[in-house]
Amino acid sequence: MHAAHHSTPQLPDRLCEDWRFGAPHKHAAALAQMMRGCTRRGTITVEGADDAPGGWSVHGVRSIGSDALLALHQAAEGVGLYLQHDYAEPITITCETDGVYTPAVYIVARAGVHAHIIERHICRGEHSAMVCARRIVAEEGAQISVELQEEGCGTSRVLNITDITARGACVRHLTTHANHEWAREETTAEALGNAADIQLFSANRLEDSQMLDQHTRQLHSNRGCASNLLYKNVLDGRATAVFAGNIYVAPGAHDTDAYQSNRNMLLSENATMHSLPGLEILADRVRCSHGSASAPMDAEQLFYLLSRGIPRHQAQLLVAEGFLNDVHTRFQAE
Amino acid sequence: MSLVIKDLCARVKDGADILKGISLEIPKGRVHAVMGPNGSGKSTLSKVLCGHPDYEVTGGTAELDGQDLLSMSVDERSRAGLFLAFQYPVEVPGVTNANFLRAALQARLPQGETVDAVAFYKELRAKMKQLGMDAKFTARAVNEGFSGGEKKRNDILQMLMLQPSYAILDETDSGLDVDALRIVSDGVNAMRAPFRSFMVITHYKRLLDYIRPDVVHVLYQGRIVRTGGFELVERIEQEGFDFLKD
Repeated sequence: MHAAHHSTPQLPDRLCEDWRFGAPHKHAAALAQMMRGCTRRGTITVEGADDAPGGWSVHGVRSIGSDALLALHQAAEGVGLYLQHDYAEPITITCETDGVYTPAVYIVARAGVHAHIIERHICRGEHSAMVCARRIVAEEGAQISVELQEEGCGTSRVLNITDITARGACVRHLTTHANHEWAREETTAEALGNAADIQLFSANRLEDSQMLDQHTRQLHSNRGCASNLLYKNVLDGRATAVFAGNIYVAPGAHDTDAYQSNRNMLLSENATMHSLPGLEILADRVRCSHGSASAPMDAEQLFYLLSRGIPRHQAQLLVAEGFLNDVHTRFQAE
Repeated sequence: MSLVIKDLCARVKDGADILKGISLEIPKGRVHAVMGPNGSGKSTLSKVLCGHPDYEVTGGTAELDGQDLLSMSVDERSRAGLFLAFQYPVEVPGVTNANFLRAALQARLPQGETVDAVAFYKELRAKMKQLGMDAKFTARAVNEGFSGGEKKRNDILQMLMLQPSYAILDETDSGLDVDALRIVSDGVNAMRAPFRSFMVITHYKRLLDYIRPDVVHVLYQGRIVRTGGFELVERIEQEGFDFLKD
Protein backbone atom coordinates (compact mmCIF):
# COMPACT_ATOMS: atom_id res chain seq x y z
CA MET A 1 0.00 0.00 0.00
CA HIS A 2 1.33 3.39 -0.88
CA ALA A 3 0.02 6.84 -0.31
CA ALA A 4 -0.81 8.87 -3.34
CA HIS A 5 1.45 11.74 -2.51
CA HIS A 6 5.16 11.77 -3.36
CA SER A 7 5.96 14.80 -1.26
CA THR A 8 4.36 15.11 2.15
CA PRO A 9 2.30 18.28 2.56
CA GLN A 10 2.88 20.42 5.62
CA LEU A 11 1.23 19.35 8.84
CA PRO A 12 -1.73 21.52 9.79
CA ASP A 13 -1.21 24.36 12.21
CA ARG A 14 -3.49 27.00 13.73
CA LEU A 15 -3.24 29.15 10.65
CA CYS A 16 -5.02 26.41 8.74
CA GLU A 17 -8.70 27.41 8.76
CA ASP A 18 -9.88 23.79 8.90
CA TRP A 19 -7.85 23.24 12.09
CA ARG A 20 -8.51 26.60 13.72
CA PHE A 21 -10.19 25.18 16.84
CA GLY A 22 -8.78 21.64 16.63
CA ALA A 23 -5.56 22.10 18.66
CA PRO A 24 -3.33 20.96 15.76
CA HIS A 25 -0.09 21.65 17.68
CA LYS A 26 -1.17 19.00 20.15
CA HIS A 27 -3.14 16.43 18.22
CA ALA A 28 -2.10 16.62 14.57
CA ALA A 29 1.55 16.69 15.61
CA ALA A 30 1.04 13.73 17.95
CA LEU A 31 -0.72 11.66 15.27
CA ALA A 32 2.01 12.43 12.75
CA GLN A 33 4.69 11.46 15.23
CA MET A 34 2.93 8.20 16.05
CA MET A 35 2.44 7.30 12.39
CA ARG A 36 6.06 8.07 11.61
CA GLY A 37 7.61 6.38 14.60
CA CYS A 38 5.47 3.44 15.64
CA THR A 39 4.75 0.08 14.12
CA ARG A 40 1.13 -0.03 13.04
CA ARG A 41 -0.75 -2.72 14.90
CA GLY A 42 -4.39 -3.66 14.95
CA THR A 43 -6.99 -5.89 13.39
CA ILE A 44 -9.74 -5.40 10.88
CA THR A 45 -12.49 -7.99 10.53
CA VAL A 46 -15.65 -8.24 8.48
CA GLU A 47 -18.79 -10.17 9.40
CA GLY A 48 -21.85 -10.66 7.26
CA ALA A 49 -20.36 -10.09 3.80
CA ASP A 50 -19.39 -12.97 1.53
CA ASP A 51 -16.65 -11.10 -0.28
CA ALA A 52 -14.45 -8.57 1.48
CA PRO A 53 -11.00 -8.47 -0.11
CA GLY A 54 -8.17 -6.63 1.58
CA GLY A 55 -5.52 -4.49 -0.05
CA TRP A 56 -7.00 -1.15 -0.88
CA SER A 57 -5.02 2.09 -1.22
CA VAL A 58 -6.12 5.44 0.26
CA HIS A 59 -5.63 7.10 -3.09
CA GLY A 60 -8.26 9.64 -4.00
CA VAL A 61 -9.90 10.22 -0.62
CA ARG A 62 -10.68 13.92 -0.15
CA SER A 63 -9.68 15.34 3.22
CA ILE A 64 -10.71 18.63 4.80
CA GLY A 65 -7.40 20.02 5.97
CA SER A 66 -5.52 16.80 6.70
CA ASP A 67 -3.71 15.96 3.47
CA ALA A 68 -0.44 15.64 5.39
CA LEU A 69 -1.88 13.13 7.82
CA LEU A 70 -3.55 11.29 4.95
CA ALA A 71 -0.19 11.05 3.21
CA LEU A 72 1.32 9.52 6.34
CA HIS A 73 -1.64 7.19 6.67
CA GLN A 74 -0.33 4.51 4.27
CA ALA A 75 -2.99 1.97 5.16
CA ALA A 76 -1.57 -0.88 7.20
CA GLU A 77 -4.55 -2.90 6.16
CA GLY A 78 -7.51 -2.09 4.05
CA VAL A 79 -10.78 -3.82 3.44
CA GLY A 80 -13.03 -3.46 0.43
CA LEU A 81 -16.71 -4.30 0.35
CA TYR A 82 -18.00 -4.73 -3.17
CA LEU A 83 -21.73 -5.12 -2.67
CA GLN A 84 -23.45 -6.65 -5.67
CA HIS A 85 -26.69 -7.87 -4.08
CA ASP A 86 -28.99 -6.94 -1.21
CA TYR A 87 -27.99 -7.80 2.33
CA ALA A 88 -30.86 -8.51 4.70
CA GLU A 89 -28.63 -8.45 7.78
CA PRO A 90 -26.13 -5.73 8.71
CA ILE A 91 -22.52 -6.14 7.64
CA THR A 92 -20.13 -5.38 10.49
CA ILE A 93 -16.57 -4.12 10.02
CA THR A 94 -14.52 -3.97 13.22
CA CYS A 95 -11.19 -2.16 13.49
CA GLU A 96 -9.40 -2.57 16.79
CA THR A 97 -6.08 -1.42 18.19
CA ASP A 98 -4.11 -1.04 21.39
CA GLY A 99 -1.38 0.98 19.66
CA VAL A 100 -1.40 2.93 16.42
CA TYR A 101 -3.48 1.68 13.54
CA THR A 102 -4.28 3.10 10.11
CA PRO A 103 -6.99 1.05 8.45
CA ALA A 104 -8.65 1.89 5.15
CA VAL A 105 -12.21 0.99 4.28
CA TYR A 106 -13.61 1.03 0.78
CA ILE A 107 -17.31 0.34 0.24
CA VAL A 108 -18.83 0.14 -3.21
CA ALA A 109 -22.55 -0.54 -3.57
CA ARG A 110 -23.54 -1.56 -7.08
CA ALA A 111 -26.70 -0.26 -8.71
CA GLY A 112 -29.89 -1.02 -6.80
CA VAL A 113 -28.21 -2.70 -3.81
CA HIS A 114 -29.71 -2.30 -0.33
CA ALA A 115 -27.35 -2.77 2.62
CA HIS A 116 -26.68 -1.62 6.17
CA ILE A 117 -23.06 -1.46 7.30
CA ILE A 118 -21.90 -1.00 10.86
CA GLU A 119 -18.29 0.05 11.25
CA ARG A 120 -16.81 -0.13 14.74
CA HIS A 121 -13.52 1.50 15.65
CA ILE A 122 -12.22 0.42 19.02
CA CYS A 123 -9.14 1.90 20.71
CA ARG A 124 -8.28 -0.17 23.75
CA GLY A 125 -4.77 0.79 24.78
CA GLU A 126 -3.78 3.88 26.76
CA HIS A 127 -2.89 6.69 24.33
CA SER A 128 -3.77 4.49 21.37
CA ALA A 129 -4.70 6.09 18.07
CA MET A 130 -6.53 5.22 14.88
CA VAL A 131 -6.44 7.11 11.61
CA CYS A 132 -8.97 5.72 9.17
CA ALA A 133 -9.45 6.63 5.53
CA ARG A 134 -12.84 5.64 4.15
CA ARG A 135 -14.36 5.79 0.74
CA ILE A 136 -18.02 5.03 0.14
CA VAL A 137 -19.42 4.88 -3.38
CA ALA A 138 -23.07 4.10 -4.09
CA GLU A 139 -24.26 3.65 -7.66
CA GLU A 140 -27.60 4.33 -9.35
CA GLY A 141 -30.56 3.30 -7.19
CA ALA A 142 -28.47 1.83 -4.36
CA GLN A 143 -29.68 2.49 -0.82
CA ILE A 144 -27.06 2.04 1.84
CA SER A 145 -26.75 3.15 5.42
CA VAL A 146 -23.42 3.27 7.17
CA GLU A 147 -23.11 3.60 10.92
CA LEU A 148 -19.70 4.51 12.33
CA GLN A 149 -19.36 3.72 16.02
CA GLU A 150 -16.28 5.10 17.74
CA GLU A 151 -15.25 3.66 21.08
CA GLY A 152 -12.23 5.05 22.90
CA CYS A 153 -10.50 4.34 26.19
CA GLY A 154 -10.38 7.85 27.63
CA THR A 155 -6.88 8.72 26.38
CA SER A 156 -7.22 7.64 22.73
CA ARG A 157 -7.24 9.76 19.58
CA VAL A 158 -9.04 9.08 16.34
CA LEU A 159 -9.15 10.72 12.94
CA ASN A 160 -11.68 9.65 10.31
CA ILE A 161 -11.41 10.94 6.80
CA THR A 162 -14.50 9.90 4.91
CA ASP A 163 -15.30 10.47 1.26
CA ILE A 164 -18.83 9.62 0.11
CA THR A 165 -20.05 9.63 -3.46
CA ALA A 166 -23.74 8.98 -4.12
CA ARG A 167 -24.30 8.63 -7.84
CA GLY A 168 -28.07 8.60 -8.23
CA ALA A 169 -28.16 6.68 -4.95
CA CYS A 170 -29.32 7.16 -1.37
CA VAL A 171 -26.61 7.12 1.30
CA ARG A 172 -27.31 7.56 4.98
CA HIS A 173 -24.35 8.04 7.29
CA LEU A 174 -24.36 8.18 11.10
CA THR A 175 -21.41 8.71 13.42
CA THR A 176 -21.29 8.34 17.20
CA HIS A 177 -18.31 8.93 19.46
CA ALA A 178 -17.71 7.63 22.95
CA ASN A 179 -14.80 8.14 25.24
CA HIS A 180 -11.98 9.36 22.99
CA GLU A 181 -9.78 12.09 24.39
CA TRP A 182 -9.75 13.66 20.95
CA ALA A 183 -11.62 12.79 17.79
CA ARG A 184 -11.75 14.46 14.42
CA GLU A 185 -14.00 13.75 11.48
CA GLU A 186 -13.63 15.06 7.97
CA THR A 187 -16.60 14.02 5.89
CA THR A 188 -16.96 14.93 2.25
CA ALA A 189 -20.24 13.87 0.67
CA GLU A 190 -20.90 14.42 -3.01
CA ALA A 191 -24.31 14.04 -4.60
CA LEU A 192 -24.07 13.21 -8.28
CA GLY A 193 -26.27 11.90 -11.04
CA ASN A 194 -30.00 11.51 -10.97
CA ALA A 195 -31.77 12.49 -7.73
CA ALA A 196 -28.99 11.41 -5.37
CA ASP A 197 -29.88 11.76 -1.71
CA ILE A 198 -27.31 11.97 1.09
CA GLN A 199 -28.27 12.06 4.76
CA LEU A 200 -25.54 12.81 7.29
CA PHE A 201 -26.15 12.32 10.99
CA SER A 202 -24.06 12.48 14.13
CA ALA A 203 -24.97 12.15 17.82
CA ASN A 204 -22.40 12.44 20.56
CA ARG A 205 -22.12 12.86 24.29
CA LEU A 206 -18.87 14.43 25.43
CA GLU A 207 -17.63 14.88 28.98
CA ASP A 208 -14.52 15.59 31.05
CA SER A 209 -12.05 17.29 28.70
CA GLN A 210 -12.93 15.33 25.56
CA MET A 211 -12.79 17.07 22.22
CA LEU A 212 -14.66 16.36 19.01
CA ASP A 213 -13.72 18.28 15.88
CA GLN A 214 -16.16 17.70 12.99
CA HIS A 215 -15.85 19.06 9.46
CA THR A 216 -18.28 18.36 6.67
CA ARG A 217 -18.75 19.22 3.04
CA GLN A 218 -21.97 18.58 1.16
CA LEU A 219 -21.08 18.91 -2.50
CA HIS A 220 -23.76 19.30 -5.15
CA SER A 221 -22.29 19.03 -8.62
CA ASN A 222 -25.38 18.00 -10.57
CA ARG A 223 -28.90 19.35 -10.61
CA GLY A 224 -31.85 17.88 -8.72
CA CYS A 225 -30.00 16.16 -5.87
CA ALA A 226 -30.62 16.37 -2.13
CA SER A 227 -28.55 16.32 1.03
CA ASN A 228 -29.40 16.79 4.65
CA LEU A 229 -27.21 17.02 7.72
CA LEU A 230 -28.18 16.80 11.39
CA TYR A 231 -25.33 16.82 13.92
CA LYS A 232 -26.09 16.97 17.64
CA ASN A 233 -23.83 17.02 20.67
CA VAL A 234 -24.34 16.98 24.42
CA LEU A 235 -21.36 18.55 26.17
CA ASP A 236 -20.58 18.24 29.86
CA GLY A 237 -17.55 19.01 32.03
CA ARG A 238 -14.83 20.84 30.11
CA ALA A 239 -15.63 19.15 26.81
CA THR A 240 -15.14 21.00 23.54
CA ALA A 241 -16.72 20.38 20.17
CA VAL A 242 -16.26 21.96 16.79
CA PHE A 243 -18.66 21.80 13.89
CA ALA A 244 -17.61 23.38 10.62
CA GLY A 245 -19.89 22.49 7.75
CA ASN A 246 -20.23 23.73 4.23
CA ILE A 247 -22.86 23.17 1.58
CA TYR A 248 -21.44 23.82 -1.86
CA VAL A 249 -23.82 24.03 -4.80
CA ALA A 250 -21.85 24.16 -8.04
CA PRO A 251 -22.79 26.33 -11.03
CA GLY A 252 -25.56 24.54 -12.89
CA ALA A 253 -26.63 22.35 -9.95
CA HIS A 254 -30.12 23.82 -10.06
CA ASP A 255 -33.07 22.40 -8.11
CA THR A 256 -30.82 21.33 -5.28
CA ASP A 257 -32.29 20.59 -1.83
CA ALA A 258 -29.61 20.89 0.83
CA TYR A 259 -29.95 21.41 4.55
CA GLN A 260 -27.59 21.54 7.47
CA SER A 261 -28.44 21.68 11.15
CA ASN A 262 -26.08 21.62 14.13
CA ARG A 263 -27.68 21.48 17.60
CA ASN A 264 -25.77 21.37 20.86
CA MET A 265 -26.81 21.00 24.46
CA LEU A 266 -24.38 22.42 27.01
CA LEU A 267 -24.67 20.86 30.47
CA SER A 268 -21.74 22.71 31.99
CA GLU A 269 -20.58 26.31 32.03
CA ASN A 270 -17.09 25.06 31.22
CA ALA A 271 -18.10 23.22 28.04
CA THR A 272 -17.30 24.94 24.74
CA MET A 273 -18.93 24.68 21.33
CA HIS A 274 -17.60 26.26 18.14
CA SER A 275 -20.18 26.02 15.39
CA LEU A 276 -19.53 27.31 11.88
CA PRO A 277 -22.27 26.33 9.45
CA GLY A 278 -21.80 27.55 5.90
CA LEU A 279 -23.39 27.81 2.47
CA GLU A 280 -21.88 28.51 -0.92
CA ILE A 281 -24.50 28.59 -3.65
CA LEU A 282 -23.58 29.17 -7.27
CA ALA A 283 -26.78 27.91 -8.89
CA ASP A 284 -30.37 29.09 -9.22
CA ARG A 285 -33.62 27.56 -8.03
CA VAL A 286 -32.19 25.90 -4.95
CA ARG A 287 -33.66 25.21 -1.55
CA CYS A 288 -30.84 25.43 0.98
CA SER A 289 -30.68 26.29 4.64
CA HIS A 290 -28.26 26.03 7.48
CA GLY A 291 -28.65 26.60 11.17
CA SER A 292 -26.93 26.19 14.46
CA ALA A 293 -28.03 26.43 18.08
CA SER A 294 -26.06 25.86 21.26
CA ALA A 295 -27.82 26.25 24.58
CA PRO A 296 -28.14 24.78 28.06
CA MET A 297 -30.73 22.09 28.69
CA ASP A 298 -34.25 23.45 28.33
CA ALA A 299 -35.31 24.40 31.86
CA GLU A 300 -38.99 23.74 31.16
CA GLN A 301 -38.29 20.21 29.90
CA LEU A 302 -36.23 19.50 33.00
CA PHE A 303 -38.93 20.94 35.28
CA TYR A 304 -41.55 18.76 33.58
CA LEU A 305 -39.60 15.58 34.39
CA LEU A 306 -38.80 16.74 37.92
CA SER A 307 -42.47 17.54 38.49
CA ARG A 308 -43.23 13.87 37.89
CA GLY A 309 -40.85 12.83 40.65
CA ILE A 310 -37.88 11.82 38.50
CA PRO A 311 -34.67 12.70 40.42
CA ARG A 312 -32.64 15.54 38.94
CA HIS A 313 -29.66 13.50 37.80
CA GLN A 314 -31.85 10.97 36.03
CA ALA A 315 -34.08 13.67 34.57
CA GLN A 316 -31.03 15.39 33.07
CA LEU A 317 -29.85 12.08 31.67
CA LEU A 318 -33.25 11.37 30.09
CA VAL A 319 -33.53 14.81 28.49
CA ALA A 320 -29.96 14.60 27.14
CA GLU A 321 -30.50 11.07 25.82
CA GLY A 322 -33.76 12.17 24.26
CA PHE A 323 -31.98 15.05 22.55
CA LEU A 324 -29.58 12.57 20.91
CA ASN A 325 -32.19 9.81 20.40
CA ASP A 326 -33.90 12.12 17.99
CA VAL A 327 -30.90 11.69 15.64
CA HIS A 328 -30.99 7.89 15.85
CA THR A 329 -34.74 7.89 15.23
CA ARG A 330 -34.32 10.00 12.11
CA PHE A 331 -31.42 7.87 10.87
CA GLN A 332 -33.55 4.74 11.23
CA ALA A 333 -36.73 6.30 9.90
CA GLU A 334 -35.39 7.82 6.71
CA MET B 1 -54.52 15.39 56.37
CA SER B 2 -54.62 18.26 53.95
CA LEU B 3 -52.83 20.79 51.81
CA VAL B 4 -52.51 23.90 53.96
CA ILE B 5 -51.33 27.20 52.48
CA LYS B 6 -50.84 30.19 54.81
CA ASP B 7 -50.09 33.78 53.78
CA LEU B 8 -48.17 32.59 50.74
CA CYS B 9 -46.36 35.39 48.94
CA ALA B 10 -44.29 34.90 45.80
CA ARG B 11 -42.83 36.82 42.93
CA VAL B 12 -41.21 36.21 39.61
CA LYS B 13 -37.48 35.97 40.34
CA ASP B 14 -36.12 39.51 40.43
CA GLY B 15 -39.52 40.71 39.25
CA ALA B 16 -42.97 41.71 40.33
CA ASP B 17 -44.88 40.32 43.31
CA ILE B 18 -47.64 38.00 42.09
CA LEU B 19 -49.00 36.19 45.13
CA LYS B 20 -49.75 38.59 48.00
CA GLY B 21 -50.81 36.42 50.89
CA ILE B 22 -52.76 33.34 49.82
CA SER B 23 -54.35 31.19 52.52
CA LEU B 24 -56.44 28.11 51.90
CA GLU B 25 -56.81 24.55 53.11
CA ILE B 26 -57.83 21.61 50.96
CA PRO B 27 -58.65 18.56 53.09
CA LYS B 28 -58.34 15.05 51.68
CA GLY B 29 -61.30 13.93 49.65
CA ARG B 30 -62.30 17.46 48.59
CA VAL B 31 -62.28 19.29 45.27
CA HIS B 32 -61.56 23.02 45.40
CA ALA B 33 -61.93 25.21 42.35
CA VAL B 34 -59.79 28.31 41.88
CA MET B 35 -61.16 30.90 39.47
CA GLY B 36 -60.07 34.38 38.60
CA PRO B 37 -59.41 36.77 35.74
CA ASN B 38 -56.27 36.60 33.60
CA GLY B 39 -53.16 37.66 35.50
CA SER B 40 -54.65 37.11 38.94
CA GLY B 41 -51.97 34.57 39.91
CA LYS B 42 -53.71 31.21 39.40
CA SER B 43 -50.96 29.56 37.36
CA THR B 44 -48.30 31.17 39.54
CA LEU B 45 -49.91 29.56 42.59
CA SER B 46 -49.77 26.13 40.96
CA LYS B 47 -46.16 26.55 39.86
CA VAL B 48 -45.00 27.93 43.20
CA LEU B 49 -46.53 24.94 44.98
CA CYS B 50 -44.62 22.62 42.62
CA GLY B 51 -41.34 24.54 43.02
CA HIS B 52 -40.90 26.12 39.61
CA PRO B 53 -37.46 27.81 39.53
CA ASP B 54 -38.79 30.99 37.89
CA TYR B 55 -40.58 31.96 41.10
CA GLU B 56 -39.36 32.96 44.51
CA VAL B 57 -41.37 32.52 47.69
CA THR B 58 -41.11 35.70 49.72
CA GLY B 59 -43.32 34.72 52.62
CA GLY B 60 -45.78 32.27 54.11
CA THR B 61 -45.91 28.49 54.32
CA ALA B 62 -47.33 25.48 52.48
CA GLU B 63 -47.69 22.08 54.07
CA LEU B 64 -48.60 18.76 52.52
CA ASP B 65 -49.91 16.35 55.16
CA GLY B 66 -47.88 18.23 57.75
CA GLN B 67 -44.64 18.24 55.71
CA ASP B 68 -43.03 21.55 54.76
CA LEU B 69 -43.65 21.58 51.01
CA LEU B 70 -41.54 24.65 50.30
CA SER B 71 -38.35 23.11 51.66
CA MET B 72 -38.62 20.13 49.29
CA SER B 73 -37.06 19.89 45.83
CA VAL B 74 -39.38 19.70 42.83
CA ASP B 75 -39.06 15.93 42.47
CA GLU B 76 -39.49 15.37 46.21
CA ARG B 77 -42.79 17.28 46.12
CA SER B 78 -44.02 14.98 43.40
CA ARG B 79 -42.99 11.84 45.25
CA ALA B 80 -44.66 13.26 48.37
CA GLY B 81 -47.93 13.11 46.44
CA LEU B 82 -48.30 16.44 44.60
CA PHE B 83 -49.19 16.50 40.91
CA LEU B 84 -49.59 19.38 38.46
CA ALA B 85 -51.46 18.99 35.19
CA PHE B 86 -49.89 21.80 33.20
CA GLN B 87 -51.68 24.57 31.35
CA TYR B 88 -49.13 24.09 28.57
CA PRO B 89 -47.58 20.60 28.81
CA VAL B 90 -44.00 20.60 27.59
CA GLU B 91 -42.65 18.58 24.67
CA VAL B 92 -39.68 16.36 25.54
CA PRO B 93 -38.15 15.13 22.25
CA GLY B 94 -36.61 11.68 22.16
CA VAL B 95 -38.06 10.47 25.48
CA THR B 96 -40.93 8.07 24.93
CA ASN B 97 -44.08 8.29 27.00
CA ALA B 98 -43.52 4.74 28.25
CA ASN B 99 -39.92 5.37 29.37
CA PHE B 100 -40.92 8.66 30.96
CA LEU B 101 -43.71 7.08 33.00
CA ARG B 102 -41.59 4.09 33.96
CA ALA B 103 -38.88 6.41 35.25
CA ALA B 104 -41.47 8.36 37.26
CA LEU B 105 -42.92 5.16 38.76
CA GLN B 106 -39.47 3.70 39.38
CA ALA B 107 -38.54 6.81 41.36
CA ARG B 108 -41.39 6.02 43.77
CA LEU B 109 -40.19 2.49 44.56
CA PRO B 110 -37.86 1.57 47.42
CA GLN B 111 -34.23 0.98 46.44
CA GLY B 112 -33.69 -2.45 44.97
CA GLU B 113 -37.20 -2.78 43.57
CA THR B 114 -37.98 -2.35 39.88
CA VAL B 115 -41.15 -1.68 37.95
CA ASP B 116 -42.75 -4.88 36.64
CA ALA B 117 -42.69 -4.27 32.89
CA VAL B 118 -45.61 -6.56 32.04
CA ALA B 119 -47.88 -5.12 34.72
CA PHE B 120 -46.78 -1.59 33.79
CA TYR B 121 -47.71 -1.92 30.12
CA LYS B 122 -50.98 -3.63 30.97
CA GLU B 123 -51.97 -0.77 33.27
CA LEU B 124 -50.72 1.85 30.85
CA ARG B 125 -52.78 0.46 27.98
CA ALA B 126 -55.87 0.23 30.22
CA LYS B 127 -55.55 3.87 31.31
CA MET B 128 -54.97 5.00 27.73
CA LYS B 129 -58.10 3.19 26.66
CA GLN B 130 -59.99 4.89 29.46
CA LEU B 131 -58.89 8.27 28.07
CA GLY B 132 -59.54 7.32 24.46
CA MET B 133 -55.82 7.44 23.58
CA ASP B 134 -54.31 5.30 20.84
CA ALA B 135 -51.79 2.68 22.04
CA LYS B 136 -49.21 4.10 19.64
CA PHE B 137 -48.74 7.03 22.04
CA THR B 138 -46.68 4.78 24.35
CA ALA B 139 -43.81 4.87 21.83
CA ARG B 140 -44.19 8.53 20.91
CA ALA B 141 -41.90 11.14 22.47
CA VAL B 142 -43.57 12.95 25.36
CA ASN B 143 -46.04 15.46 23.89
CA GLU B 144 -43.92 15.93 20.76
CA GLY B 145 -46.16 16.76 17.83
CA PHE B 146 -49.27 16.21 19.97
CA SER B 147 -52.27 18.45 19.45
CA GLY B 148 -53.28 20.70 22.35
CA GLY B 149 -55.98 18.23 23.36
CA GLU B 150 -53.64 15.24 23.15
CA LYS B 151 -51.17 16.99 25.43
CA LYS B 152 -53.85 17.60 28.02
CA ARG B 153 -54.96 13.97 27.85
CA ASN B 154 -51.37 12.88 28.21
CA ASP B 155 -51.04 14.90 31.41
CA ILE B 156 -54.18 13.28 32.77
CA LEU B 157 -52.79 9.87 31.76
CA GLN B 158 -49.74 10.64 33.88
CA MET B 159 -52.00 11.56 36.77
CA LEU B 160 -53.91 8.29 36.43
CA MET B 161 -50.65 6.31 36.39
CA LEU B 162 -48.94 8.16 39.26
CA GLN B 163 -52.01 8.25 41.53
CA PRO B 164 -51.11 11.43 43.45
CA SER B 165 -52.72 12.46 46.75
CA TYR B 166 -53.05 16.09 45.67
CA ALA B 167 -53.63 17.06 42.07
CA ILE B 168 -53.61 20.57 40.69
CA LEU B 169 -55.29 20.91 37.29
CA ASP B 170 -54.20 24.19 35.69
CA GLU B 171 -56.74 25.11 33.02
CA THR B 172 -56.94 21.52 31.86
CA ASP B 173 -60.07 22.44 29.92
CA SER B 174 -58.33 24.92 27.62
CA GLY B 175 -57.78 23.43 24.19
CA LEU B 176 -60.16 20.53 24.73
CA ASP B 177 -63.18 19.95 22.53
CA VAL B 178 -66.50 18.96 24.08
CA ASP B 179 -65.91 15.21 23.77
CA ALA B 180 -62.34 15.38 25.07
CA LEU B 181 -63.50 17.55 27.98
CA ARG B 182 -66.02 14.89 28.97
CA ILE B 183 -63.49 12.06 28.68
CA VAL B 184 -60.85 13.92 30.68
CA SER B 185 -63.40 14.93 33.31
CA ASP B 186 -64.58 11.33 33.60
CA GLY B 187 -60.96 10.32 34.17
CA VAL B 188 -60.61 12.89 36.96
CA ASN B 189 -63.94 11.97 38.54
CA ALA B 190 -62.93 8.30 38.53
CA MET B 191 -59.98 9.30 40.70
CA ARG B 192 -62.02 11.17 43.27
CA ALA B 193 -61.55 9.39 46.57
CA PRO B 194 -61.53 10.12 50.31
CA PHE B 195 -57.73 9.95 50.29
CA ARG B 196 -57.20 12.37 47.40
CA SER B 197 -57.93 16.03 46.78
CA PHE B 198 -57.94 18.33 43.78
CA MET B 199 -57.34 21.99 43.07
CA VAL B 200 -59.07 22.75 39.78
CA ILE B 201 -57.98 26.02 38.18
CA THR B 202 -60.25 27.25 35.43
CA HIS B 203 -61.90 30.24 33.82
CA TYR B 204 -65.06 28.43 32.83
CA LYS B 205 -68.09 26.85 34.38
CA ARG B 206 -68.20 24.09 31.77
CA LEU B 207 -65.32 22.14 33.42
CA LEU B 208 -66.90 22.55 36.86
CA ASP B 209 -70.17 21.20 35.51
CA TYR B 210 -68.30 17.94 34.97
CA ILE B 211 -65.94 18.09 37.95
CA ARG B 212 -68.21 19.44 40.62
CA PRO B 213 -66.19 21.34 43.27
CA ASP B 214 -66.92 21.30 46.99
CA VAL B 215 -65.48 24.78 47.50
CA VAL B 216 -64.82 27.64 45.08
CA HIS B 217 -62.14 30.32 45.58
CA VAL B 218 -61.79 33.45 43.53
CA LEU B 219 -58.28 34.82 43.09
CA TYR B 220 -57.86 38.48 42.24
CA GLN B 221 -54.66 40.50 42.15
CA GLY B 222 -52.74 37.86 44.04
CA ARG B 223 -55.24 37.38 46.85
CA ILE B 224 -58.22 35.12 47.48
CA VAL B 225 -61.08 37.59 47.61
CA ARG B 226 -64.06 35.25 47.71
CA THR B 227 -64.66 31.71 48.94
CA GLY B 228 -67.98 29.97 48.58
CA GLY B 229 -69.95 27.24 46.89
CA PHE B 230 -71.09 26.63 43.34
CA GLU B 231 -73.13 29.84 43.42
CA LEU B 232 -69.87 31.74 42.93
CA VAL B 233 -69.32 29.85 39.68
CA GLU B 234 -72.83 30.75 38.55
CA ARG B 235 -72.28 34.40 39.38
CA ILE B 236 -68.99 34.57 37.49
CA GLU B 237 -70.62 32.88 34.53
CA GLN B 238 -73.37 35.52 34.49
CA GLU B 239 -71.49 38.66 35.51
CA GLY B 240 -67.86 38.02 34.72
CA PHE B 241 -65.27 39.16 37.24
CA ASP B 242 -66.36 42.79 37.38
CA PHE B 243 -68.11 42.36 40.71
CA LEU B 244 -64.69 41.80 42.29
CA LYS B 245 -63.86 45.43 41.73
CA ASP B 246 -66.68 46.58 44.01
